Amino acid sequence: MGMVTCLGHDPKTVADNLANMRHGIRLWESLAMAQSPVKVAAPLPHYKTDSKDPEDWEFPEKVKLRLEQLRALSPHGLYALHAMADAIADAGLQKHEISNPRTGLFTASPGSVRQVHHHLDRMLRAGPMRCSPLGIIASIAGTLSFNLAAFHQIQGSSSGFVSACASSGHALGFACDELMLGRQDRMFVVGAEDFTLENILPFAAMRVLSLSTDPDRASRPFDRNRDGFVGTGGAVVLVLERASVAHARGAEIYGYMDGWGQSTDGYHVAASHPEGEGLLRAMKIALAAAGKTVEDVDYINAHATSTQHGDASECRALKALLAGHKHLAISSTKGLTGHALSLSSIMETAFCLLAMKHGFLPGSAGIEEIDPIAEDLPIITTTREGHPRTILSNSSGFGGANVSIVLSPASQA
Amino acid sequence: MPESISSEATIRESLKRCPEATIKAAIEFRQTRDPSLLPVIVMGVIERFIEPDVRPLLREGDAGLRLVDDLGVDSLLMVEIVMLIEEVLELSIDNEELRNIRTIGDIQTFLDAKVRGVPLPDNQNLLRLESILAIMPQQPPFLFLQEARVNGESIEGTYRISGDEPFLEGHFKGDPVFPGSLMLEALGQLAVLYLLRNVAPTIPGGIDPGKVYFVSCDGVRCHRVCRPPETLQLVIKLKKLHAPIAQFEGWIYSQGVKVAKVEELGLAFQQPQQQEAAPAEPATVV
Repeated sequence: MGMVTCLGHDPKTVADNLANMRHGIRLWESLAMAQSPVKVAAPLPHYKTDSKDPEDWEFPEKVKLRLEQLRALSPHGLYALHAMADAIADAGLQKHEISNPRTGLFTASPGSVRQVHHHLDRMLRAGPMRCSPLGIIASIAGTLSFNLAAFHQIQGSSSGFVSACASSGHALGFACDELMLGRQDRMFVVGAEDFTLENILPFAAMRVLSLSTDPDRASRPFDRNRDGFVGTGGAVVLVLERASVAHARGAEIYGYMDGWGQSTDGYHVAASHPEGEGLLRAMKIALAAAGKTVEDVDYINAHATSTQHGDASECRALKALLAGHKHLAISSTKGLTGHALSLSSIMETAFCLLAMKHGFLPGSAGIEEIDPIAEDLPIITTTREGHPRTILSNSSGFGGANVSIVLSPASQA
Repeated sequence: MPESISSEATIRESLKRCPEATIKAAIEFRQTRDPSLLPVIVMGVIERFIEPDVRPLLREGDAGLRLVDDLGVDSLLMVEIVMLIEEVLELSIDNEELRNIRTIGDIQTFLDAKVRGVPLPDNQNLLRLESILAIMPQQPPFLFLQEARVNGESIEGTYRISGDEPFLEGHFKGDPVFPGSLMLEALGQLAVLYLLRNVAPTIPGGIDPGKVYFVSCDGVRCHRVCRPPETLQLVIKLKKLHAPIAQFEGWIYSQGVKVAKVEELGLAFQQPQQQEAAPAEPATVV
């Protein structure tokens, strides 16, 4: 795996921050300047991508790019190239294992709203012939696939997923299918989001961002007084391989993706179904696909973003799934990271894999007073030691899209 | 004058990663439209877009430097360069006009003509590498011509010693010197090009391109050694044509200085053999 997140850029640091519940939320200077009621966000360490001009960006020295490569990127493309290089190194893959007809690439990102605006604004002011020829490549939904596939000369399946906050869950799910159907031996799955004012602040108009000015009390899923999510961005890359392929090359395995499920609420353009019916269906389908039941599940990484409506809806879905079972633990790691939108599903899947590897269940941060609707649920507010055998990781997006992913540890399957 | 201040600010913003001399020249150009400012502006814009490792090459000011092969400018970067130049010089350049631009010198010549409002030099007699490859029996890695221009009874050609030529590793150990014998070869090749392109059409039956051979030379002098990344400027002039022999004289210059001379270089050529018709056979569909 490779990661560029607000909790750090390498699995060890991220696992340490997760286990010790050190959050990545800060008062963000870009929001202080704007006429914005929103003041907090979860920035990416060692990155500064505030400028519309890629040549102004600051990023870790180890990320080496030629000028024409940099100018073809939006911020999340840059993070993703970093995470991809780390994932390749972490998985111990050689060039011929990356570029061949049996290795594919699925990506999840909405494109870069800021860079689209930047290029269109120039086009309207200066005319189409005075615009960057790479403007489209750098900004539209698909930019991740274009850049990563070319950079690593991917020859297998490649496709992009755009289902808002469920996007990278869909990418993981369909990548898993690609392997299970025998179409590919190995899939890179990439989720990424710009960490920019323009990517986060539009959610303020929907009244779904936290207005807290205290970074320690801003993202608080399941808390009675939660007031919205905290924005973040970044990139995570997971390498999925057919088990036989991974075993044959002696790969070090983080865990197994046993199955997945998806559903759609059929209810509203933005709000999730109040009873969480869609999410419940997705979790049931996922467990059935993995050949497991709720009794097998030891930990659920909830989607809960810290909005009033969304968390309540998920609580109802979880109650229906658990039907009184209390043996497991539930938490939302968004208490530590805020909400990474298209990236969140794969980022949290990576968190679950790290939790399994290091033997802990991450606590749900930010809960001072549990919401009555969540009182009956086994939500853990501090990190516990433990070796979960089966994990569910949930994600939901606009349009009522739901994805649930089933994971189990390397040592068991 | 607020207007000039704002236009200066715009130029500075557009050229923000270019050398200061380029920015100053661009600001002055807006007021004077003096074509002598063009080289500094254009070089600064190109320098801003190319990788740091090839910038020293550009600063040497060799007009024969090729944008794609020597400076690593791909077609998309070329568009960025052109756009910035258009914006700064307040010109508009059609795609069609860019078709023949290969080298730094081409850009300078093109813009100079454009700013002065005079027609571009006639490119009808200009032979690009693609045309040379199509005409010549010699091919890389044993082709020592990159561009040529026919001028009446003489032809001028260029060859840039890149330093990547494999023979330079051994000629000499630790001291790459372009061999004198290959200077003679380069002149010979330029003579072959002239013979095939300009003489062949005037001879009934033409000349077989695979059957042109070197036969003699006389009065060869090399005045100084040439090393990478020098560009050899070759000149060949037809002295006498008496089929099947053509005699030429030739000179090589580098950076404006004569480095070699041949008083007489002789080539022998043959006319193509008539092909006998192949025996008739039934056609098959496979």
